[in-house]
Amino acid sequence: MSAIEAITVPKWGLTMTEGTLTEWLIDEGDLVAVGDAVADMETSKIVNTVESNVAGTFRRIVAHPGDTLEIAALLGVVADTDTSEEEIDAFIQSYVPESVAQTDLLGSGSDDTAEAATHVDAHTAVKEESKPQAPTNAALDALADGEDDSDVHASRYARQVAEQYNVNLHNVKATGRNNRISKADVIAAIQAAGGHIAAVVVDKTATAEPHRSTQNDSKVKATAVARRLAMKLGINLYDCRVSGSHGRVCKADVEAANALLNGAPVTLAAIATGAIEQAQATPEFEETPMSGMRKTIASRLQESKQQAPHFRLVIDCQIDQLSALRKQLNDAHPGVKISVNDFIVKATAMALVKSPEVNVQFDGENIRRFKHADVSVAVALESGLITPIVKKADALNLTEISNEVRSLATRAKAGTLQPDDFIGGTFCISNLGMFGIKQFDAIINPPQAGIMAVGAGEKRVVVDGNDTRVATVVTLSASFDHRVVDGAVGAQFMTDLKRFIENPALMLA
Amino acid sequence: MKQYDVMVVGGGPGGYVAAIRAAQLGLKTALVEKKHLGGICLNWGCIPTKALLKGAEVAHTLENLSLYGFSADNVQFDIKGLVKHSRDVSARLTSGIDYLMKKNGIDVIDGFARVVGKCELSVESGTQGSSVSETRYRADHIIIATGARPRSLPGIEPDGEQVWTYFDAMVPEKLPKSLLVIGSGAIGVEFASLYRDLGVEVTVVEVLDQMMPVEDAEVSAFATKKFKQRGIVVKTGTKVESINKSVEGVTCLLIDKNGNSEEVVVEKVLLSAGIQGNIENIGMETLGVETDRSFIKTDEWCRTNVVGLYAIGDVSGPPCLAHKASHEGVICVEKLAGVAGVHPLDKSNVPACTYSRPQVASVGMTEAQARASGRGIKVGRFNFQSNSKALAIGEAEGFVKTLFDQDSGELLGAHMIGPEVTEQIQGFGIAQALEGTEQQLMHTVFAHPTLSEAMHEAVLDACGQALHQ
Repeated sequence: MSAIEAITVPKWGLTMTEGTLTEWLIDEGDLVAVGDAVADMETSKIVNTVESNVAGTFRRIVAHPGDTLEIAALLGVVADTDTSEEEIDAFIQSYVPESVAQTDLLGSGSDDTAEAATHVDAHTAVKEESKPQAPTNAALDALADGEDDSDVHASRYARQVAEQYNVNLHNVKATGRNNRISKADVIAAIQAAGGHIAAVVVDKTATAEPHRSTQNDSKVKATAVARRLAMKLGINLYDCRVSGSHGRVCKADVEAANALLNGAPVTLAAIATGAIEQAQATPEFEETPMSGMRKTIASRLQESKQQAPHFRLVIDCQIDQLSALRKQLNDAHPGVKISVNDFIVKATAMALVKSPEVNVQFDGENIRRFKHADVSVAVALESGLITPIVKKADALNLTEISNEVRSLATRAKAGTLQPDDFIGGTFCISNLGMFGIKQFDAIINPPQAGIMAVGAGEKRVVVDGNDTRVATVVTLSASFDHRVVDGAVGAQFMTDLKRFIENPALMLA
Repeated sequence: MKQYDVMVVGGGPGGYVAAIRAAQLGLKTALVEKKHLGGICLNWGCIPTKALLKGAEVAHTLENLSLYGFSADNVQFDIKGLVKHSRDVSARLTSGIDYLMKKNGIDVIDGFARVVGKCELSVESGTQGSSVSETRYRADHIIIATGARPRSLPGIEPDGEQVWTYFDAMVPEKLPKSLLVIGSGAIGVEFASLYRDLGVEVTVVEVLDQMMPVEDAEVSAFATKKFKQRGIVVKTGTKVESINKSVEGVTCLLIDKNGNSEEVVVEKVLLSAGIQGNIENIGMETLGVETDRSFIKTDEWCRTNVVGLYAIGDVSGPPCLAHKASHEGVICVEKLAGVAGVHPLDKSNVPACTYSRPQVASVGMTEAQARASGRGIKVGRFNFQSNSKALAIGEAEGFVKTLFDQDSGELLGAHMIGPEVTEQIQGFGIAQALEGTEQQLMHTVFAHPTLSEAMHEAVLDACGQALHQ
């Protein structure tokens, strides 16, 4: 099925309505790739080069130098080599300029920017991939022989290809109009001698689709690895440069083609020099995909911040008595290592039971009040964060809370927590005290309605009546969801909490 | 202070396995070893002794060359060559453990570790002479796997010269003319068998009434008979009261349970009367860790009475076997990491192997224990004399005994003595692990001709269906 495509007058600049064709850069019979320079045109503002946005063989010149046409008008026709002349005639007759061609190719800039448009030279815009290694082939070698060919009648394009593949134009048979050697002729000569041509690659990335060869590539010389890899990646060996030994496509060539055709676009210069591999080897950044945990944290906390109106209450607690009690317990009882945080968990659980409006889960519509305080404790992992729950913390004693928190932390690190262990809870405690953080504000974990951020216990000067003294103080900063917890309720909770922490004997009662 | 999730003290088969399992579970793990990875097992125990015993096997084969049509004269033996072979094997395996540590991302810390507080370790590095540095570490979980060492008897202390422990017996400069082995557990019996095959006069002295006291009585009796046939003097129910070292050798005063005394003069004495746990200087007293004689007390999950402190392997008590240590390592770590479906170690499923000649291997209850339990039992026996492979290889001394619960068909115990039984006992271990019955064992097809068929026949015999006897 032959596809017939149109080369049309492009739109440069917002105000351009028409342009004049000054010169064709290709000839009928030439192979055209997307982005190839095909003609020079001039408008009232600039002279610029028309680039093809289709690929195939240039079959018919429609507009001639000197013709002035409106934007989107037909300049020439590109099709397969086996499309008949009659079909092309029919195409030209029925051609209607498409509105899509009226898109401003120079972008949203004004006509001023059009001045800055680069005049893209045929040599630079249309680049072959790096020179293939000279194959050890007598016929090919012979192609290079001959007298100076600079006056041989050949299209600029053909000359460029010939230069690149070290072909003397005297050795090329012209099949185009006026005995002019076209690019296709040069390519045919090379292939007839046993070489092969890498497909044309463009450095326009935004709009163009790289050319993909559909030729049967089983005769292309390639290493076994390259061939298999190409098959796996869906790459045609004709689309690969040739840099392997003995004139073969090698693995690196297939990978470069893959990067271009299947992956991120790369500049021609990089392909040409092989710098692409170096660039890929030492990138300035490393993309890391988001892990499941990361994605969950990201979406849940964003949702929480956006949905829940957070308000904060801060309170300082003196923990000298608590520390003394802690030391006493730890010294006397080898089977347990109670931390300050364990005390805070206990105190929080007790305060939650006293303020049932805080000990809730809220899903946006329904509030659930829980009989017991299921306190979540934030555990930092290498890969993120998790909040396992100390269930019914109000009913556990300090030893039980301490051992449970230890066990949950280890299981969190080993990844053996069950969903039941960390989904739910009625309140959360997050402690960054071990990092020396004085105070911070945490984000509520839905469906909970509050979270408490615990800072480091540090010696501070406190006021006692009219005197000052030094005490060990820890700052607690709680965030509450104002949809379900009001200021006074939160404040009462914090007051109770402070009382338990500063009078730790109450936690043993 | 550097922080780890798990720190293991001791790099033997208990310690290094625990460390590997912890690392596999994603826990940040470090292992502290003061001397050599692989511990006693790899360096001064299981492995080098098996290498030496292979030499004994070769000596035995050389004694019987004519049976197979060979003759040889002027066969030379240099003990140093055999010792070198055993040391080479140890060195190779130690570097293998080193590789495993690296592969699993475990930090190996060279030094002597001491627990200085709950979840806190202090490690001393550097040898005497050069500067000793101390580093502290915090770990949520500390696993003590410091192993055990030979126990002395009052008045009988090892001196490395005339009174040996297994350390010395493993690297003799030259073969002694005579050797008296105190204690007939696996260690004593293996060395007795080894040295006898190398031409040494050996006497074994055991204070209990039965050589190899923990084995089934029938097996012990057979082993004793075979030892005596080989020219090993075996004195059971006898104690070494005292020893007297002199230039001529060691004079040992033996007293049996009837009060009769005897003096035996030997060149070397091997003290193999038990081992004691290495619990000194590692901070056990500081934390108030409960110990029982020389072993650390643990529950079924290898937990001590101190939070975050565990003990596995020889240091946590009998059976003092490498495979028990390894399994405890895995169970301890899986339990603390919250892995589902962990079961405590069933000590009755831990096999015991002795690599003497003949070899001894057993698992589960002895016949006496099975009968004492009051349940109805079925007993099966099969003699290697009736096993075609055993005859073909000229090693047909020994038997297999199986004990089944009459009601449930459960394999209560299996006892084997004879050729390569240490390699065969795992078959019975598998049956126990799977809680299989005698029926299932009967229906298992054993290849022919193998020594293992004796296992099958012993099972058949328990059901009164023996085919080949």
